Amino acid sequence: MTNKVTNALQYIFLTIVSLFSVFPLVWMVIAATNTSVDVTRGRMIPGTHFLENLKNLIAAQDLWGCMWNSFKYALMLTILSLLICSLAGYGFEIYHDKAKDFTMSVILLAMMVPFVATMIPLFQMFSKAGLLNTTAGFILPTISTPFMIMLFRQSARSFPHDIIEAARIDGLNELQIFFRMFVPTMRSTYAAAMTITFMNAWNNYLWPKVIMTNDSSKTMPMLVANLKEGYVTDYGMLMVAVLLCTLPTVIIFFLLQKSFAEGITGAVK
Amino acid sequence: MDKVENVTGEKKRRKMSMSKRHNLTGWIFLAPATIMIAIMSFVPMVQALLLSFKKGVGAKLEWAGLFNYTRMFQDAVFMQSLKNTFLYLIIQVPIMLILALILASILNKKDLKFKGLFRTMIFLPCATSLVSYATIFRSLFAVDGLVNTVLIKLGILNTGYSFLTQPTSARIIIIIALVWRWTGYNMVFYLSGLQNIEYSVYEAAKIDGASPIQTFFKITVPLLKPTILLTAIMSTNGTLQLFDESVNLTGGGPANTTITMSHYIYNMSFKYVPNFGYAAAMSFLIFVLVAVLAFFQMKVGDKRDE
Amino acid sequence: MKKKVLSLMLVASMAASLLAGCGGSDEGQSGGGETGGTAGTTGTEAAGGETASGEKLTVWCWDPAFNIYSMEEAGKVYQQTHPDFELEVVETPWQDVQTKLTTAATSGDLSTLPDIILMQDNAFQKNVISYPDAFLDLTSSGIDYSQFAAGKVAYSTVEGKNYGVPFDNGAVIACYRTDILEQAGYTVDDLTDIDWDRYIEIGKDVLDKTGKPLLSCQAGESDVIMMMLQSAGASLFDADGNPNMVGNDVLVKIMETYAALKTSGVLIEVNDWDQYVGSITSETVAGTINGCWIMASIQTAEDQSGKWAITNMPSLVGVDGATNYSNNGGSSWAVTANCQNPELAYDFLASTFAGSVEFYETILPSSGALATYAPAGDSDVYNQPSEFFGGEPVFAKIVEFSTKIPSNNTGVYYYEARDAIATAITNVVAGSDIDAELQTAQDTVEFQMAQ
Repeated sequence: MTNKVTNALQYIFLTIVSLFSVFPLVWMVIAATNTSVDVTRGRMIPGTHFLENLKNLIAAQDLWGCMWNSFKYALMLTILSLLICSLAGYGFEIYHDKAKDFTMSVILLAMMVPFVATMIPLFQMFSKAGLLNTTAGFILPTISTPFMIMLFRQSARSFPHDIIEAARIDGLNELQIFFRMFVPTMRSTYAAAMTITFMNAWNNYLWPKVIMTNDSSKTMPMLVANLKEGYVTDYGMLMVAVLLCTLPTVIIFFLLQKSFAEGITGAVK
Repeated sequence: MDKVENVTGEKKRRKMSMSKRHNLTGWIFLAPATIMIAIMSFVPMVQALLLSFKKGVGAKLEWAGLFNYTRMFQDAVFMQSLKNTFLYLIIQVPIMLILALILASILNKKDLKFKGLFRTMIFLPCATSLVSYATIFRSLFAVDGLVNTVLIKLGILNTGYSFLTQPTSARIIIIIALVWRWTGYNMVFYLSGLQNIEYSVYEAAKIDGASPIQTFFKITVPLLKPTILLTAIMSTNGTLQLFDESVNLTGGGPANTTITMSHYIYNMSFKYVPNFGYAAAMSFLIFVLVAVLAFFQMKVGDKRDE
Repeated sequence: MKKKVLSLMLVASMAASLLAGCGGSDEGQSGGGETGGTAGTTGTEAAGGETASGEKLTVWCWDPAFNIYSMEEAGKVYQQTHPDFELEVVETPWQDVQTKLTTAATSGDLSTLPDIILMQDNAFQKNVISYPDAFLDLTSSGIDYSQFAAGKVAYSTVEGKNYGVPFDNGAVIACYRTDILEQAGYTVDDLTDIDWDRYIEIGKDVLDKTGKPLLSCQAGESDVIMMMLQSAGASLFDADGNPNMVGNDVLVKIMETYAALKTSGVLIEVNDWDQYVGSITSETVAGTINGCWIMASIQTAEDQSGKWAITNMPSLVGVDGATNYSNNGGSSWAVTANCQNPELAYDFLASTFAGSVEFYETILPSSGALATYAPAGDSDVYNQPSEFFGGEPVFAKIVEFSTKIPSNNTGVYYYEARDAIATAITNVVAGSDIDAELQTAQDTVEFQMAQ
């Protein structure tokens, strides 16, 4: 009986939290279907202007170009970052010794200075290297982050060592063990890392706005900023852009969250 | 509970015989990431550190020794921002992490229905674009906004209260906004961490008659310790560098009572007459603060054998 | 599983080539050209600013309906006489212009800047003083500054040298909903040439009878204060650039007026710009006072056409030099030091923004871009009645206002002072002592100036 009550309470709790969580998104979707004036007047009923807002947006901004750029930058960054950082996290944990633990602590320091302070030297570096307005320029500064390295290091802690030893006896080399044993086992960690890296790359604003100086290399957040800057803001159009800017991350999360349900047991044993 | 301890005991890693070759392999594994961080973070950081010992307007800079470092402690606005930021840190981070832990452990249950939907919905806030999230929070707490309307209908308030222009309520709103935005984010790491805990551990606990609360504290929390450490360090870092909420929700107001250090540093760099030496010095104060806090967190939470 | 390994290997090799490419391009100059794949496509046209010394100019500005449109029209006008001329406008929000400019100038690498940027008038002094090498002195560039209102030119004049070509007008207008005023028994004439005391009096009456305040503004921003200040020709800095807040009688009067507006309920504060626009379009307030560019936002409420009227703003009471005219916002064109063909830029600006009445006649109807170029004000186009604003020739009216605006001293530390004053007024409204708050504000600004 008490079980039933706890169960019901759980659902109520989850529902409340979920409703709070989605509220702004719902508002955004509604706003995207209304005219600008209706949005400023606080209309909360879905309207019929979505297609018109979208049409205006396409006419006013290079929507597909910015989308493509953002996808290109974010995907490249996610793939490379996951590879480099998971290798490092694995290396830090599986072969851990004093020197590597110390190195890990030093690496953590890299994230503790606000980006505003390191941006100017970084800009100088990239400008000299001719990397402005390039994909490489976008991804290189954040390709390796202390956060991702530590995420994989912490997750590797629960990776069973008998698997490694068994694999070694089977004659697999270290890199093979990483790719054939660790990567598939840590699916849920990769899913989390992928979502977060993609999201951060997709929403990154300060750095691209400094290094992207022509129209053809702009990203989605820069497009949204363009829409907010004029003397008159078309809020309906803005909300369509914001919606399109939010959806990719949400879709990626929704697709990947399933892997949170498949635990380590299924993959290894 | 005996059985539980047994299983966790088995999970303790065996000492690995570390031959020199494996040691070298480890270094090769972590080399690409480490080299990238050295070039992309440490080189600019050293340059910023040098900059922090200089003063002057725009690009004309001269050596000034510790001038900027002593200056910031006489800067009333910066001191205010330091206080504000710590207030957010102390209140918001624990609430957020505990809430995320609870949500993750509920959402990890095997027999829960609509898991995917709940997870996605709770994750949504951190993916929601800053533009719409800031706009809606400001309009929710406007004098004629939804929150006031509800409070008036319930008879708690007589007239609309201007939440964002009163120091205490504005700070509370920033904290609510932060919890709202980042709980789902942290939940993701706990969820993924929970996958690495074998389900049999929970079943064993259940058979032993452990209550859900006992299970939470005796199994979930200890086994998630590495992940909790990770999120604690990241949240500390994120909060001490907090920028978005201060800029977009309150603009640092009313009268600088919600401004954060990063917001002030940004103003010093791009809004006011640029003073990058001073901005760099303030950034390094943040660096020291985060480093000290992270050091203690690592000391407490990063022991491999307990 | 094999497939997965393969794909990861592929990625690894991509990463390796990327790293190699990045190392290589330290010497090579072709930007991302060597990094292969996607990076190369945009790499070759790196740095929008590096324009060839030919007949091309690159411009950064931000509003498609307004300054981008105007710039592009100017390009077309110039092309009629210079067929080889090419113009590239890169849409860049003002915040981004400032960030990019600061980053480039601080790192000493101006090569990323375009030829011409549009600069907020309030930021002009700050940027030119901070980065004198980043801008070209336009004093002897052939632009006839006598054709512009002196107050406008002052924004972009630093130490006696002109650095900007004035563009849009920020003359302050007071807009009122005639239908709401009528309900309370007033007309726009009752609110013309008045002072703030009378404004509050009428405002209270309107509030009583219709429930609508006359004015809304953003909490924590000091636009209203700054407009009041300039309407009396006063500044937050003295002629030497030192803060002039403590003992500034005009400022004290302004603080009192603002507090009175707030406590009487005639002025309501909202949380952000969106809510400010919303308060106007959703009829929460019966009017507003702002730079004339606010008309564009008001006109988005098409159903309110004909219900609006424009007049001048109230004047300060008991202050020397008080007028009913002021300025808020506005921008000017600056030529950067990265411009490879300054003669072309000068000639382009001199023959369009600073020399063509026809050009201003073209851009006015669809963009509402009001000139600060005096000869354009005589044009017939400016006398066209505006249906939305009750059939009045509003443009001519605003041009007339703009000739009467007292000039003031923006100051290099404008944004510091503005924020300090915003803090002060917030505290004053909450009940603090005006003199004490002004002292704190002055201390804050003096502290920030002493670097």
